[in-house]
Amino acid sequence: MNGEALVINGFFIFRVFLVGAMMFAVPRILRKGLLFGAYVGEEVDGGQASRDLTHRWDIGTAAVMAVALLVGLSISAAGWPLQGNLTGTAVLLLGAFANYLRAYSEARTLIPPDVAKRARVSIASLDARDPNEAGFASIVLGICLLVSLGGFVFTVVGSTPIVLSDKARLAALFVASLNLVISPFFALLGLLIANAKRSIRSGGDGSLVGQDKFRATMVGILMGSALLQCSWYTLISVELTRFGLDGLKSPGIWLLAVVLILFWGGSLGWAAATRGQGGAHLESDPETPLTGGLADNDHWFWGLFYVDRDDPSIMVEVRFGLGYTFNYGNQSAQLIVATVSVLLLCVSAFGIFAWVA
Amino acid sequence: MRLTIDRDHADPVYEQVATQLRRLIATGALAQGTALPSVRRLSGDLGVNLNTIARAYRLLEAEGFLAIRDRAGVTVAAPAREVEPAARAMLLEQIRATLARLRQAGMAPDELIGVLKAEVDAMDNPKGESR
Repeated sequence: MNGEALVINGFFIFRVFLVGAMMFAVPRILRKGLLFGAYVGEEVDGGQASRDLTHRWDIGTAAVMAVALLVGLSISAAGWPLQGNLTGTAVLLLGAFANYLRAYSEARTLIPPDVAKRARVSIASLDARDPNEAGFASIVLGICLLVSLGGFVFTVVGSTPIVLSDKARLAALFVASLNLVISPFFALLGLLIANAKRSIRSGGDGSLVGQDKFRATMVGILMGSALLQCSWYTLISVELTRFGLDGLKSPGIWLLAVVLILFWGGSLGWAAATRGQGGAHLESDPETPLTGGLADNDHWFWGLFYVDRDDPSIMVEVRFGLGYTFNYGNQSAQLIVATVSVLLLCVSAFGIFAWVA
Repeated sequence: MRLTIDRDHADPVYEQVATQLRRLIATGALAQGTALPSVRRLSGDLGVNLNTIARAYRLLEAEGFLAIRDRAGVTVAAPAREVEPAARAMLLEQIRATLARLRQAGMAPDELIGVLKAEVDAMDNPKGESR
Protein backbone atom coordinates (compact mmCIF):
# COMPACT_ATOMS: atom_id res chain seq x y z
CA MET A 1 0.00 0.00 0.00
CA ASN A 2 1.50 3.34 -1.02
CA GLY A 3 1.63 6.51 1.07
CA GLU A 4 -1.34 8.11 -0.63
CA ALA A 5 -3.56 5.09 0.03
CA LEU A 6 -2.44 5.07 3.66
CA VAL A 7 -3.48 8.74 4.08
CA ILE A 8 -6.85 8.13 2.38
CA ASN A 9 -7.53 5.06 4.53
CA GLY A 10 -6.44 6.94 7.64
CA PHE A 11 -8.92 9.72 6.93
CA PHE A 12 -11.62 7.14 6.25
CA ILE A 13 -11.05 5.26 9.52
CA PHE A 14 -10.96 8.56 11.43
CA ARG A 15 -14.29 9.57 9.84
CA VAL A 16 -15.95 6.23 10.70
CA PHE A 17 -14.91 6.52 14.35
CA LEU A 18 -15.89 10.22 14.51
CA VAL A 19 -19.39 9.60 13.14
CA GLY A 20 -19.70 6.46 15.29
CA ALA A 21 -18.73 8.40 18.43
CA MET A 22 -21.33 11.05 17.59
CA MET A 23 -24.00 8.37 17.09
CA PHE A 24 -23.18 6.81 20.45
CA ALA A 25 -23.15 10.21 22.18
CA VAL A 26 -26.30 11.90 20.84
CA PRO A 27 -28.97 9.89 22.74
CA ARG A 28 -27.07 10.65 25.94
CA ILE A 29 -27.01 14.44 25.64
CA LEU A 30 -30.71 15.06 24.88
CA ARG A 31 -33.26 16.77 27.09
CA LYS A 32 -35.21 14.31 29.20
CA GLY A 33 -38.44 13.14 27.58
CA LEU A 34 -37.01 13.07 24.05
CA LEU A 35 -36.17 9.66 22.61
CA PHE A 36 -34.75 9.38 19.08
CA GLY A 37 -36.68 12.34 17.73
CA ALA A 38 -39.96 11.52 19.48
CA TYR A 39 -41.28 13.15 22.64
CA VAL A 40 -42.31 10.23 24.86
CA GLY A 41 -42.46 12.07 28.19
CA GLU A 42 -40.07 11.94 31.11
CA GLU A 43 -41.49 8.79 32.69
CA VAL A 44 -41.16 6.63 29.58
CA ASP A 45 -37.77 8.13 28.78
CA GLY A 46 -36.48 7.01 32.17
CA GLY A 47 -37.98 3.50 31.86
CA GLN A 48 -36.74 0.07 30.79
CA ALA A 49 -38.22 0.31 27.25
CA SER A 50 -36.16 3.43 26.62
CA ARG A 51 -32.97 1.79 27.90
CA ASP A 52 -33.63 -1.26 25.70
CA LEU A 53 -34.12 0.96 22.65
CA THR A 54 -30.90 2.84 23.36
CA HIS A 55 -29.09 -0.51 23.75
CA ARG A 56 -30.40 -1.64 20.32
CA TRP A 57 -29.26 1.72 18.90
CA ASP A 58 -25.73 1.11 20.24
CA ILE A 59 -25.62 -2.37 18.68
CA GLY A 60 -26.91 -0.94 15.38
CA THR A 61 -24.26 1.79 15.47
CA ALA A 62 -21.47 -0.73 16.07
CA ALA A 63 -22.80 -2.87 13.18
CA VAL A 64 -22.97 0.12 10.82
CA MET A 65 -19.38 1.09 11.68
CA ALA A 66 -18.14 -2.47 11.15
CA VAL A 67 -19.89 -2.84 7.77
CA ALA A 68 -18.65 0.58 6.59
CA LEU A 69 -15.05 -0.28 7.54
CA LEU A 70 -15.31 -3.71 5.91
CA VAL A 71 -16.69 -2.32 2.63
CA GLY A 72 -14.39 0.70 2.46
CA LEU A 73 -11.16 -1.10 3.34
CA SER A 74 -11.97 -4.09 1.09
CA ILE A 75 -12.38 -1.83 -1.94
CA SER A 76 -9.21 0.03 -0.93
CA ALA A 77 -7.29 -3.26 -0.61
CA ALA A 78 -8.43 -4.17 -4.12
CA GLY A 79 -6.49 -1.14 -5.38
CA TRP A 80 -9.08 1.67 -5.29
CA PRO A 81 -8.49 3.60 -2.06
CA LEU A 82 -10.47 6.73 -3.08
CA GLN A 83 -13.46 4.70 -4.25
CA GLY A 84 -13.24 2.66 -1.05
CA ASN A 85 -13.25 5.85 1.00
CA LEU A 86 -16.31 7.23 -0.78
CA THR A 87 -18.25 3.94 -0.81
CA GLY A 88 -17.47 3.24 2.83
CA THR A 89 -18.58 6.75 3.79
CA ALA A 90 -21.83 6.31 1.85
CA VAL A 91 -22.46 3.01 3.64
CA LEU A 92 -21.71 4.70 6.96
CA LEU A 93 -24.10 7.61 6.39
CA LEU A 94 -26.92 5.53 4.91
CA GLY A 95 -26.53 2.92 7.66
CA ALA A 96 -26.60 5.63 10.34
CA PHE A 97 -29.76 7.11 8.82
CA ALA A 98 -31.46 3.70 8.57
CA ASN A 99 -30.51 2.97 12.18
CA TYR A 100 -32.02 6.32 13.21
CA LEU A 101 -35.28 5.70 11.32
CA ARG A 102 -35.62 2.28 12.93
CA ALA A 103 -35.06 3.76 16.41
CA TYR A 104 -37.44 6.66 15.65
CA SER A 105 -40.26 4.36 14.53
CA GLU A 106 -39.79 2.24 17.67
CA ALA A 107 -39.73 5.35 19.87
CA ARG A 108 -43.04 6.51 18.40
CA THR A 109 -44.72 3.33 19.62
CA LEU A 110 -43.74 4.33 23.17
CA ILE A 111 -45.53 7.71 23.09
CA PRO A 112 -48.22 7.72 25.82
CA PRO A 113 -51.70 8.88 24.76
CA ASP A 114 -51.68 11.97 27.00
CA VAL A 115 -48.57 13.46 25.37
CA ALA A 116 -50.60 15.03 22.56
CA LYS A 117 -52.69 16.89 25.14
CA ARG A 118 -49.59 18.07 27.01
CA ALA A 119 -48.18 19.40 23.76
CA ARG A 120 -51.20 21.68 23.45
CA VAL A 121 -49.94 23.60 26.48
CA SER A 122 -47.20 26.19 26.08
CA ILE A 123 -45.34 28.08 28.76
CA ALA A 124 -43.40 31.30 28.38
CA SER A 125 -41.35 33.17 30.91
CA LEU A 126 -42.21 36.81 31.45
CA ASP A 127 -38.61 37.34 32.54
CA ALA A 128 -37.31 36.39 29.09
CA ARG A 129 -35.73 39.35 27.36
CA ASP A 130 -34.33 39.92 23.92
CA PRO A 131 -30.92 38.24 24.15
CA ASN A 132 -27.65 40.18 24.49
CA GLU A 133 -26.05 37.77 22.02
CA ALA A 134 -28.19 39.19 19.21
CA GLY A 135 -26.23 42.46 19.18
CA PHE A 136 -22.91 40.63 19.16
CA ALA A 137 -24.14 38.39 16.33
CA SER A 138 -25.23 41.41 14.28
CA ILE A 139 -21.75 42.94 14.58
CA VAL A 140 -20.10 39.67 13.51
CA LEU A 141 -22.52 39.40 10.57
CA GLY A 142 -21.49 42.89 9.46
CA ILE A 143 -17.77 42.06 9.81
CA CYS A 144 -18.16 38.83 7.82
CA LEU A 145 -20.04 40.60 5.04
CA LEU A 146 -17.45 43.39 4.81
CA VAL A 147 -14.39 41.13 4.96
CA SER A 148 -15.72 38.52 2.53
CA LEU A 149 -16.84 41.25 0.12
CA GLY A 150 -13.41 42.90 0.41
CA GLY A 151 -11.73 39.56 -0.30
CA PHE A 152 -13.96 39.01 -3.32
CA VAL A 153 -13.24 42.48 -4.75
CA PHE A 154 -9.50 41.97 -4.21
CA THR A 155 -9.72 38.63 -6.02
CA VAL A 156 -11.46 40.25 -8.98
CA VAL A 157 -9.38 43.41 -9.34
CA GLY A 158 -6.33 42.72 -7.16
CA SER A 159 -2.95 43.39 -8.72
CA THR A 160 -0.47 40.54 -8.79
CA PRO A 161 3.25 40.43 -9.40
CA ILE A 162 2.94 37.23 -11.39
CA VAL A 163 0.77 36.14 -14.28
CA LEU A 164 -1.83 33.82 -12.87
CA SER A 165 -2.90 30.65 -14.57
CA ASP A 166 -6.60 30.40 -15.36
CA LYS A 167 -6.90 27.61 -12.83
CA ALA A 168 -5.48 29.72 -9.98
CA ARG A 169 -7.68 32.69 -10.92
CA LEU A 170 -10.79 30.49 -11.01
CA ALA A 171 -9.83 28.78 -7.75
CA ALA A 172 -9.39 32.19 -6.07
CA LEU A 173 -12.77 33.34 -7.38
CA PHE A 174 -14.41 30.12 -6.23
CA VAL A 175 -13.06 30.42 -2.67
CA ALA A 176 -13.97 34.14 -2.50
CA SER A 177 -17.51 33.37 -3.73
CA LEU A 178 -17.88 30.54 -1.23
CA ASN A 179 -16.73 32.91 1.50
CA LEU A 180 -19.40 35.44 0.51
CA VAL A 181 -22.08 32.81 1.14
CA ILE A 182 -20.77 30.60 3.95
CA SER A 183 -19.32 33.05 6.47
CA PRO A 184 -22.27 35.49 6.58
CA PHE A 185 -24.62 32.48 6.67
CA PHE A 186 -22.90 31.16 9.82
CA ALA A 187 -23.15 34.61 11.39
CA LEU A 188 -26.82 34.85 10.36
CA LEU A 189 -27.45 31.44 11.94
CA GLY A 190 -25.95 32.79 15.16
CA LEU A 191 -28.27 35.79 15.00
CA LEU A 192 -31.30 33.55 14.43
CA ILE A 193 -30.29 31.18 17.21
CA ALA A 194 -29.97 34.12 19.60
CA ASN A 195 -33.69 34.68 18.96
CA ALA A 196 -34.71 31.02 18.73
CA LYS A 197 -37.82 29.69 20.41
CA ARG A 198 -37.69 28.52 24.02
CA SER A 199 -39.50 25.33 25.00
CA ILE A 200 -39.54 25.33 28.76
CA ARG A 201 -40.74 22.82 31.28
CA SER A 202 -43.92 23.06 33.31
CA GLY A 203 -42.00 22.97 36.61
CA GLY A 204 -39.81 25.82 37.84
CA ASP A 205 -37.71 28.09 35.68
CA GLY A 206 -34.69 25.74 35.82
CA SER A 207 -35.04 24.69 32.21
CA LEU A 208 -35.04 28.34 31.12
CA VAL A 209 -31.67 29.03 32.75
CA GLY A 210 -30.04 25.97 31.17
CA GLN A 211 -31.58 26.72 27.81
CA ASP A 212 -30.36 30.31 27.74
CA LYS A 213 -26.82 29.24 28.67
CA PHE A 214 -26.87 26.66 25.90
CA ARG A 215 -28.17 29.24 23.45
CA ALA A 216 -25.42 31.69 24.39
CA THR A 217 -22.83 28.92 23.97
CA MET A 218 -24.10 27.98 20.52
CA VAL A 219 -24.19 31.62 19.40
CA GLY A 220 -20.58 31.99 20.59
CA ILE A 221 -19.50 28.86 18.69
CA LEU A 222 -21.20 30.03 15.50
CA MET A 223 -19.73 33.53 15.78
CA GLY A 224 -16.25 32.10 16.34
CA SER A 225 -16.73 29.74 13.38
CA ALA A 226 -17.97 32.58 11.17
CA LEU A 227 -14.96 34.78 11.97
CA LEU A 228 -12.42 31.97 11.64
CA GLN A 229 -13.92 30.72 8.38
CA CYS A 230 -14.11 34.23 6.99
CA SER A 231 -10.42 34.78 7.83
CA TRP A 232 -9.44 31.41 6.38
CA TYR A 233 -11.33 31.72 3.10
CA THR A 234 -10.19 35.33 2.67
CA LEU A 235 -6.58 34.35 3.26
CA ILE A 236 -6.82 31.51 0.72
CA SER A 237 -8.39 33.70 -1.96
CA VAL A 238 -5.88 36.52 -1.36
CA GLU A 239 -2.88 34.15 -1.41
CA LEU A 240 -4.17 32.47 -4.58
CA THR A 241 -4.59 35.88 -6.20
CA ARG A 242 -1.14 37.05 -5.15
CA PHE A 243 0.93 33.91 -5.74
CA GLY A 244 -1.19 31.57 -7.85
CA LEU A 245 -1.45 27.92 -6.77
CA ASP A 246 1.83 28.32 -4.86
CA GLY A 247 -0.12 30.54 -2.47
CA LEU A 248 -1.70 27.39 -1.03
CA LYS A 249 1.68 26.62 0.55
CA SER A 250 1.30 29.62 2.87
CA PRO A 251 1.76 28.42 6.49
CA GLY A 252 -1.00 30.81 7.63
CA ILE A 253 -3.59 28.85 5.63
CA TRP A 254 -2.63 25.55 7.24
CA LEU A 255 -2.33 27.07 10.69
CA LEU A 256 -5.83 28.57 10.44
CA ALA A 257 -7.21 25.25 9.17
CA VAL A 258 -5.85 23.50 12.25
CA VAL A 259 -7.22 26.24 14.53
CA LEU A 260 -10.63 25.96 12.85
CA ILE A 261 -10.79 22.17 13.25
CA LEU A 262 -9.63 22.37 16.87
CA PHE A 263 -12.16 25.14 17.56
CA TRP A 264 -15.05 23.16 16.09
CA GLY A 265 -14.15 19.87 17.72
CA GLY A 266 -13.26 21.41 21.06
CA SER A 267 -16.18 23.81 21.39
CA LEU A 268 -18.88 21.40 20.18
CA GLY A 269 -17.49 18.59 22.34
CA TRP A 270 -17.35 20.95 25.31
CA ALA A 271 -20.92 22.17 24.69
CA ALA A 272 -22.22 18.60 24.39
CA ALA A 273 -20.42 17.47 27.54
CA THR A 274 -21.08 20.44 29.82
CA ARG A 275 -24.36 21.91 28.53
CA GLY A 276 -26.09 18.98 26.81
CA GLN A 277 -28.56 19.54 23.99
CA GLY A 278 -30.76 22.54 24.86
CA GLY A 279 -28.99 22.85 28.24
CA ALA A 280 -30.13 19.33 29.24
CA HIS A 281 -27.26 18.94 31.71
CA LEU A 282 -28.05 22.28 33.40
CA GLU A 283 -31.77 21.76 33.89
CA SER A 284 -32.84 21.74 37.52
CA ASP A 285 -36.32 20.34 36.84
CA PRO A 286 -35.90 17.69 34.12
CA GLU A 287 -38.67 15.51 35.59
CA THR A 288 -41.44 17.96 34.66
CA PRO A 289 -42.96 17.78 31.16
CA LEU A 290 -41.68 19.80 28.24
CA THR A 291 -44.26 22.08 26.67
CA GLY A 292 -44.87 23.66 23.30
CA GLY A 293 -42.85 22.94 20.18
CA LEU A 294 -40.46 20.27 21.47
CA ALA A 295 -43.29 18.24 23.00
CA ASP A 296 -45.40 18.46 19.87
CA ASN A 297 -44.91 15.23 17.89
CA ASP A 298 -47.40 16.15 15.16
CA HIS A 299 -45.32 18.96 13.68
CA TRP A 300 -42.04 17.03 13.58
CA PHE A 301 -41.38 14.84 10.54
CA TRP A 302 -39.08 11.87 11.28
CA GLY A 303 -38.24 13.78 14.44
CA LEU A 304 -35.85 15.87 12.34
CA PHE A 305 -37.88 18.53 10.48
CA TYR A 306 -40.14 20.98 12.30
CA VAL A 307 -43.00 22.38 10.20
CA ASP A 308 -45.57 24.58 11.94
CA ARG A 309 -47.12 27.43 9.96
CA ASP A 310 -48.77 28.91 13.05
CA ASP A 311 -45.50 29.14 14.99
CA PRO A 312 -43.74 32.46 14.30
CA SER A 313 -40.36 31.03 15.43
CA ILE A 314 -37.75 30.81 12.71
CA MET A 315 -35.54 28.41 14.65
CA VAL A 316 -36.16 25.81 17.33
CA GLU A 317 -33.96 23.33 19.20
CA VAL A 318 -33.34 20.03 17.43
CA ARG A 319 -34.84 16.96 19.04
CA PHE A 320 -32.00 14.65 18.05
CA GLY A 321 -28.50 16.06 17.73
CA LEU A 322 -26.84 19.22 18.98
CA GLY A 323 -28.07 22.73 18.19
CA TYR A 324 -31.02 24.22 16.37
CA THR A 325 -33.02 23.74 13.20
CA PHE A 326 -35.34 25.81 11.04
CA ASN A 327 -39.11 25.86 11.36
CA TYR A 328 -39.75 24.97 7.73
CA GLY A 329 -43.35 26.14 8.01
CA ASN A 330 -42.21 29.72 8.64
CA GLN A 331 -41.98 31.90 5.53
CA SER A 332 -38.81 33.71 6.65
CA ALA A 333 -37.12 30.36 7.30
CA GLN A 334 -38.22 29.09 3.88
CA LEU A 335 -36.80 32.21 2.24
CA ILE A 336 -33.46 31.91 4.05
CA VAL A 337 -33.07 28.20 3.32
CA ALA A 338 -34.06 28.63 -0.34
CA THR A 339 -31.74 31.63 -0.87
CA VAL A 340 -28.72 29.99 0.74
CA SER A 341 -29.38 26.71 -1.11
CA VAL A 342 -29.57 28.47 -4.47
CA LEU A 343 -26.42 30.49 -3.74
CA LEU A 344 -24.53 27.37 -2.65
CA LEU A 345 -25.68 25.50 -5.76
CA CYS A 346 -24.44 28.36 -7.95
CA VAL A 347 -21.08 28.49 -6.16
CA SER A 348 -20.77 24.68 -6.34
CA ALA A 349 -21.54 24.73 -10.06
CA PHE A 350 -18.89 27.41 -10.51
CA GLY A 351 -16.45 25.30 -8.46
CA ILE A 352 -17.07 22.24 -10.64
CA PHE A 353 -16.58 24.39 -13.73
CA ALA A 354 -13.31 25.76 -12.30
CA TRP A 355 -12.09 22.26 -11.43
CA VAL A 356 -12.94 20.83 -14.86
CA ALA A 357 -11.39 23.85 -16.58
CA MET B 1 -42.91 34.37 36.47
CA ARG B 2 -44.62 32.49 33.69
CA LEU B 3 -47.60 32.49 31.37
CA THR B 4 -49.34 29.29 30.42
CA ILE B 5 -51.69 28.81 27.50
CA ASP B 6 -53.73 25.77 26.64
CA ARG B 7 -54.93 25.55 23.05
CA ASP B 8 -57.72 23.18 24.14
CA HIS B 9 -59.09 25.69 26.67
CA ALA B 10 -62.52 27.17 25.97
CA ASP B 11 -61.16 30.75 26.10
CA PRO B 12 -59.23 32.03 23.08
CA VAL B 13 -55.46 32.30 23.56
CA TYR B 14 -55.38 36.11 23.63
CA GLU B 15 -57.98 36.08 26.40
CA GLN B 16 -55.96 33.53 28.39
CA VAL B 17 -52.90 35.76 28.11
CA ALA B 18 -54.84 38.89 29.04
CA THR B 19 -56.54 37.22 32.01
CA GLN B 20 -53.25 36.03 33.49
CA LEU B 21 -51.52 39.37 32.98
CA ARG B 22 -54.47 41.21 34.53
CA ARG B 23 -54.27 39.01 37.58
CA LEU B 24 -50.49 39.37 37.92
CA ILE B 25 -50.76 43.14 37.69
CA ALA B 26 -53.74 43.36 40.06
CA THR B 27 -51.97 41.23 42.68
CA GLY B 28 -48.83 43.33 42.40
CA ALA B 29 -46.74 40.41 41.16
CA LEU B 30 -45.97 42.61 38.16
CA ALA B 31 -45.11 46.01 39.59
CA GLN B 32 -45.65 49.33 37.85
CA GLY B 33 -42.97 49.99 35.26
CA THR B 34 -42.03 46.30 34.86
CA ALA B 35 -41.05 45.61 31.28
CA LEU B 36 -42.80 42.71 29.57
CA PRO B 37 -41.35 40.61 26.74
CA SER B 38 -41.81 41.99 23.25
CA VAL B 39 -44.69 40.73 21.14
CA ARG B 40 -42.24 38.81 18.96
CA ARG B 41 -40.45 37.18 21.91
CA LEU B 42 -43.64 36.14 23.73
CA SER B 43 -45.42 34.87 20.61
CA GLY B 44 -42.28 32.94 19.61
CA ASP B 45 -41.87 31.29 23.01
CA LEU B 46 -45.57 30.40 23.19
CA GLY B 47 -45.63 29.32 19.55
CA VAL B 48 -48.68 31.46 18.72
CA ASN B 49 -49.35 34.06 16.06
CA LEU B 50 -47.86 37.54 16.58
CA ASN B 51 -51.34 39.06 16.28
CA THR B 52 -52.59 36.98 19.20
CA ILE B 53 -50.13 38.53 21.65
CA ALA B 54 -50.47 41.97 20.05
CA ARG B 55 -54.24 41.74 20.57
CA ALA B 56 -53.83 40.78 24.24
CA TYR B 57 -51.39 43.66 24.81
CA ARG B 58 -53.68 46.16 23.05
CA LEU B 59 -56.66 44.98 25.10
CA LEU B 60 -54.72 45.48 28.34
CA GLU B 61 -53.48 48.86 27.14
CA ALA B 62 -57.06 49.95 26.51
CA GLU B 63 -58.01 48.75 29.99
CA GLY B 64 -55.16 50.75 31.51
CA PHE B 65 -53.04 47.79 32.66
CA LEU B 66 -50.19 48.25 30.17
CA ALA B 67 -48.38 51.12 28.50
CA ILE B 68 -47.04 50.48 25.00
CA ARG B 69 -44.33 52.81 23.72
CA ASP B 70 -42.09 52.38 20.73
CA ARG B 71 -38.75 52.68 22.51
CA ALA B 72 -39.58 51.51 26.02
CA GLY B 73 -41.60 48.57 24.74
CA VAL B 74 -44.42 47.17 26.81
CA THR B 75 -44.49 48.06 30.51
CA VAL B 76 -46.95 47.77 33.36
CA ALA B 77 -48.86 51.03 33.58
CA ALA B 78 -49.28 53.16 36.66
CA PRO B 79 -52.45 52.29 38.58
CA ALA B 80 -55.33 54.55 37.65
CA ARG B 81 -55.98 56.96 40.53
CA GLU B 82 -59.58 57.43 39.56
CA VAL B 83 -61.86 55.37 37.45
CA GLU B 84 -64.40 57.25 35.40
CA PRO B 85 -67.91 56.82 36.82
CA ALA B 86 -69.16 55.23 33.61
CA ALA B 87 -66.28 52.72 33.55
CA ARG B 88 -66.78 52.01 37.25
CA ALA B 89 -70.47 51.38 36.71
CA MET B 90 -69.68 49.04 33.80
CA LEU B 91 -67.16 47.05 35.88
CA LEU B 92 -69.61 46.74 38.78
CA GLU B 93 -72.28 45.59 36.34
CA GLN B 94 -69.86 42.92 35.08
CA ILE B 95 -69.30 41.74 38.65
CA ARG B 96 -73.06 41.60 39.26
CA ALA B 97 -73.59 39.62 36.07
CA THR B 98 -70.80 37.19 36.99
CA LEU B 99 -72.14 36.75 40.52
CA ALA B 100 -75.61 36.10 39.14
CA ARG B 101 -74.24 33.45 36.78
CA LEU B 102 -72.38 31.76 39.62
CA ARG B 103 -75.52 31.78 41.82
CA GLN B 104 -77.49 30.38 38.90
CA ALA B 105 -74.83 27.65 38.59
CA GLY B 106 -75.58 26.63 42.16
CA MET B 107 -72.79 28.32 44.11
CA ALA B 108 -73.80 29.06 47.71
CA PRO B 109 -73.58 32.68 48.97
CA ASP B 110 -70.96 31.75 51.60
CA GLU B 111 -68.87 30.07 48.93
CA LEU B 112 -69.15 33.15 46.71
CA ILE B 113 -68.06 35.43 49.52
CA GLY B 114 -65.14 33.08 50.28
CA VAL B 115 -63.95 33.17 46.67
CA LEU B 116 -64.19 36.95 46.51
CA LYS B 117 -62.33 37.35 49.80
CA ALA B 118 -59.60 34.95 48.65
CA GLU B 119 -59.14 36.93 45.44
CA VAL B 120 -58.93 40.25 47.27
CA ASP B 121 -56.51 38.76 49.82
CA ALA B 122 -54.35 37.45 46.97
CA MET B 123 -54.03 40.99 45.64
CA ASP B 124 -52.59 42.07 49.00
CA ASN B 125 -50.29 39.03 49.26
CA PRO B 126 -48.97 38.38 45.76
CA LYS B 127 -47.36 35.01 45.20
CA GLY B 128 -46.00 35.84 41.79
CA GLU B 129 -47.26 32.80 39.95
CA SER B 130 -49.90 32.83 37.27
CA ARG B 131 -52.70 30.30 36.91
